[in-house]
Amino acid sequence: MKTEKRILTLLMAVCLALGALAGCSSNEEASDGGTAGTTFVLGDTTFNAENEEPDVNPHNAYSGWACIRYGIGETLFRYSDTMEIEPWLATEYELVDELTWRITLRDGVTFSSGRALDGQAVKECLEHLIEVHDRARGDLMIDTITADSQTVTITTTEPRPTLLNYLSDPYGCIIDMEVGITEDGIVVGTGPYIVTSLVTREELNLVKNENYWDGEPGFDNVTVLTISDGDTLTMALQSGEIDGAYGMPYASYPLFENEDYTFSSTATSRVFFVHMNFESEIIQDDAVRQAIAMGIDKERFVEDLLDGNGYPAMGVYPDNFSFGGDAVTAKGYDPDGAKAILEEAGWVDTDGDGIREKEGQTLTIRWLTYPSRQELPLLAESVQATLGEIGFEVIINSTADHNSIRVDPMAWDVYASAMVTAPTGDPSYFFSTHCLDSSAVNNGHYHSDELEALAAELDETFDTDRRAELAVEMQQIILDDNAFVFCSHLQMSMISQSDVTGLVAHPCDFYEITVDLRPAE
Amino acid sequence: MTGTVSVRRQKIPKNNIRRRLLFFLLLAGLLMLAVTFAEQICPYDPNAQIFSTLEPPSAAHPAGTDRFGRDMLSRILVGLQTSVLSTLTLVAIITVVGTIIGVLCGHLGGMVDAFMMRVCDVCLAFPGLVFAMAIAALLHGGLQNAVIALAVISWPKYARIARSQTLALESTDYVAAARLAGDTSAQIIFRHILPNSAGPILVTAMLDIGTMMMELAGLSFLGLGAMPPTAELGNMMSGGRSMLQTYPWVIIGPGIAIFVAVVIFNLLGDTVRDYLDPRNSRRQSSANGKKEQEK
Amino acid sequence: MKHYVVRRLLQLIPILLIITFLSFGMMRLAGSDAVLQRMENTGMVVSQEVIDAARAELGLDKPFLTQYCAWLGNLLRGDMGTSYISGQEVFSTFISKLPATLLLTVVSILLTIVVSIPLGVLAAVKQNRLTDYVIRVASFLGNSMPNFFVALLLMYFFAIRLDWFPVISREVSLQNVILPALTLAIAMSAKYLRQVRATVLDELSKDYVAGAKARGVKFSVTLAKSVLRACLVTVITLLTLSIGSLLGGTAIVESIFMWDGVGKMAVDAINMRDYPMIQAYVMWMAIIYVCVNLITDLSYRVLDPRIRLGGAKS
Repeated sequence: MKTEKRILTLLMAVCLALGALAGCSSNEEASDGGTAGTTFVLGDTTFNAENEEPDVNPHNAYSGWACIRYGIGETLFRYSDTMEIEPWLATEYELVDELTWRITLRDGVTFSSGRALDGQAVKECLEHLIEVHDRARGDLMIDTITADSQTVTITTTEPRPTLLNYLSDPYGCIIDMEVGITEDGIVVGTGPYIVTSLVTREELNLVKNENYWDGEPGFDNVTVLTISDGDTLTMALQSGEIDGAYGMPYASYPLFENEDYTFSSTATSRVFFVHMNFESEIIQDDAVRQAIAMGIDKERFVEDLLDGNGYPAMGVYPDNFSFGGDAVTAKGYDPDGAKAILEEAGWVDTDGDGIREKEGQTLTIRWLTYPSRQELPLLAESVQATLGEIGFEVIINSTADHNSIRVDPMAWDVYASAMVTAPTGDPSYFFSTHCLDSSAVNNGHYHSDELEALAAELDETFDTDRRAELAVEMQQIILDDNAFVFCSHLQMSMISQSDVTGLVAHPCDFYEITVDLRPAE
Repeated sequence: MTGTVSVRRQKIPKNNIRRRLLFFLLLAGLLMLAVTFAEQICPYDPNAQIFSTLEPPSAAHPAGTDRFGRDMLSRILVGLQTSVLSTLTLVAIITVVGTIIGVLCGHLGGMVDAFMMRVCDVCLAFPGLVFAMAIAALLHGGLQNAVIALAVISWPKYARIARSQTLALESTDYVAAARLAGDTSAQIIFRHILPNSAGPILVTAMLDIGTMMMELAGLSFLGLGAMPPTAELGNMMSGGRSMLQTYPWVIIGPGIAIFVAVVIFNLLGDTVRDYLDPRNSRRQSSANGKKEQEK
Repeated sequence: MKHYVVRRLLQLIPILLIITFLSFGMMRLAGSDAVLQRMENTGMVVSQEVIDAARAELGLDKPFLTQYCAWLGNLLRGDMGTSYISGQEVFSTFISKLPATLLLTVVSILLTIVVSIPLGVLAAVKQNRLTDYVIRVASFLGNSMPNFFVALLLMYFFAIRLDWFPVISREVSLQNVILPALTLAIAMSAKYLRQVRATVLDELSKDYVAGAKARGVKFSVTLAKSVLRACLVTVITLLTLSIGSLLGGTAIVESIFMWDGVGKMAVDAINMRDYPMIQAYVMWMAIIYVCVNLITDLSYRVLDPRIRLGGAKS
């Protein structure tokens, strides 16, 4: 008995010690809130090197996203809510000839270093950008830049109708190259907040830019915390340690759907879609592709598996694009129609096992996908059931190894991925990366002469309306061929405590912390 | 008062142990029966996505439904089958392989020991994830390959435990006496070392059942492990992770199933250990015990 | 003795060579590379030229052996390279993660020992009585709950319900280490406790315990002096394994508690195919295991002088 008592005493002592330590902690916490002025703390799941955002230097990988999202840098042009180009640091542009653009800069804008924004500053910044940033160099195709007080004249090596779109990409943030880029990747921009310190994948501290050109920023200090775990993000917002959150898991949404929190949501051009493998014999059958397209229950995927946090997709682009949403038509979920089509094409279930056959071949498709986007395996599992009812056998291979499998045309029939289809708001990107003979990820080797011709025309068309028309035609071609099936556009949401206003989700996903972010009255 | 304990223990009648053994065998038998006939006893088709989604437990769905609108109870039963069978296979492989290597190393010593222990170092130190990725790429996904990957990573643990037990036993007087009496290595290993080190090894093995269920699920991230729509308990738990606060039944149901399996196998393991313990059964024939072990 | 230690440490060299080569080779087998992984994470497709340029910059376009030799050559000159992902120096990144991992390891091991040895002994002494069953079932509970589940429960109760700790606790301090250490200790205690119980039971049934009783030695004295000593071999073996894996980091717990240790770094590096970072991690693990095992073998010897160290049979 004695030993038992001793042991119990020991255990209690441990508990007490834990309690005492915890007690100290809460006291310390209380005295910690002594920093001057108002502070906004944003928890973000993506601000880390794994997403190619190790710092806030726009000339490094995708760090421009952090630069623009957290209110440090601004671009010459920006996207409106309908994803159209509008002036920002620039006020207007003139297309002198097919290769020459003259851009007029806004007066009265200064970098937070105090230097005024002029043509020379923009020239220095862009020249450095295309020198060090491969992707930007390829996108912009800049030949020369000449500065003349408040105007910049840019010539391109080829006609570049999308130059302004690319200049609006986060890498186009205009930074003060006289101050330069510190070793930690800190830069000086024109935005409402100024970086004071940065620790990669941990935190970014910002202070208000007192001399901001477009109004007074709402908070004195802003802190961005990298919280890579979704559940930790949830609890941090619940406990009030962060004021806003980006990247909240959908399953946590119900916890915040009350008056204590504010939601802001929008459809983004990130889309869950499937590629058909035209090297695969079974997929070459038009009826099979059509039946697959008609056998995916997009509504249910969005409603049940994304908890309503998405938008069933028609084509490549979401509704808020002028050439997106309903501008094209795609087959809806129609299991009976799909059955009839298969029946007609000779796919019949002869042996009664629920799977159709034709000439000795069973209707089996290999569905390749990957688990790092957690919705993709869910989509696969949902499709497995709905296609199963039609008479398909779907074998899922959800693997981290998909990058090496998808280049082997014999190893898969259908490949589901989640990609951004219009990062610059312009239609050409998706087709040139996915659907053409020259595309980097046209792994299903889809080919359409008509599409190639339209793509060539798109490359040379400057007129925005004509570009939109072409985009619609091109989408319709790949949809009619059932070469790709677009399932759902991702909804992006930001959640903030209700005592904050102005944390608004934007369809291009670039703008988070803006001058409008402020404490609620 | 405290002194009575050790005396009392010696008085445990063999009958008592046998009764407990039967009881836990019965429980384990029931579990295995449920596992074997999971498909027959589950109330609904575990893969049918036909109910409304994320319904809390009710009379119709005692464990609720998941995000696909499938009956959780059916999935838990079928998941138990997948998990228990694959985990038992895995644990059996690593226990046997690890013990053989560990005992041989401890007994033989010298170069063999040094070499095998360095191999263990390499295996333990090597990041399992890297290995699992390579397996996933070479052999492709699937539960079988996940078992292979985990087996290759996990045996050294048993080898280390078995070796340390062997080293400790080798230095006991009775092994020294046996050696003096001219017993061969094989006799020493089978008569003295294996029976005496079985306890800690068995306990480790039984405890590993729960851990391994989760580790098998952990690999599904790489595409190793059960592919949809196969139900698997570990996957069900980690897949429901974000729903802990909002739809807790999605994660607690499979959790309880794992717990029950772990409790049954561990209590059975303890009892088998008591039963096999040479000091509890000196006068009993060990034939019975061996049979139990084979099961 | 000194000779033995030196020899064991010298074995580290071939182990390091083998293990780094293996990991290099296996990452190659695993397919994909840092460039493709970055593309997957950002969801943005870049042109083949940009992919090729990025590969060339990292040296990924060269044959496998050339890459390994280049890495090895740099290592011999004391340069562990820079991360493919963050672009920062591997060595300094790695060193910056160590304090967190070391603190978490020490605290969770201490918690585990403090909980598991007394409870394990108690369960053994009360074998098959209510106390024993309660302790054992509790240990099964600890054993069958996955890490993330324990972590989220602890965080929910202590940080949200009771508000004793902050959710975000990145600073490496004794106060912040408690929840992550407790998470790890719960799972480990469950294991240790059961092993201690099994060992104590073994010891209690040995003749010397009855002999001591017959000679009138108090049971508590026997327990403290002989039985506990016997437990140590078991506990030390377990510690070898735990310390090794703890020093290797625990990615899930680290990421939930935002505890900036080597575990999450390693998993991220592996997922992103960040070869230089993986190599540093693999080397670290090899060094740990060799050292910890050496210390363990030495301590067996100290505990029981009859146990031989390597070499010839006694």
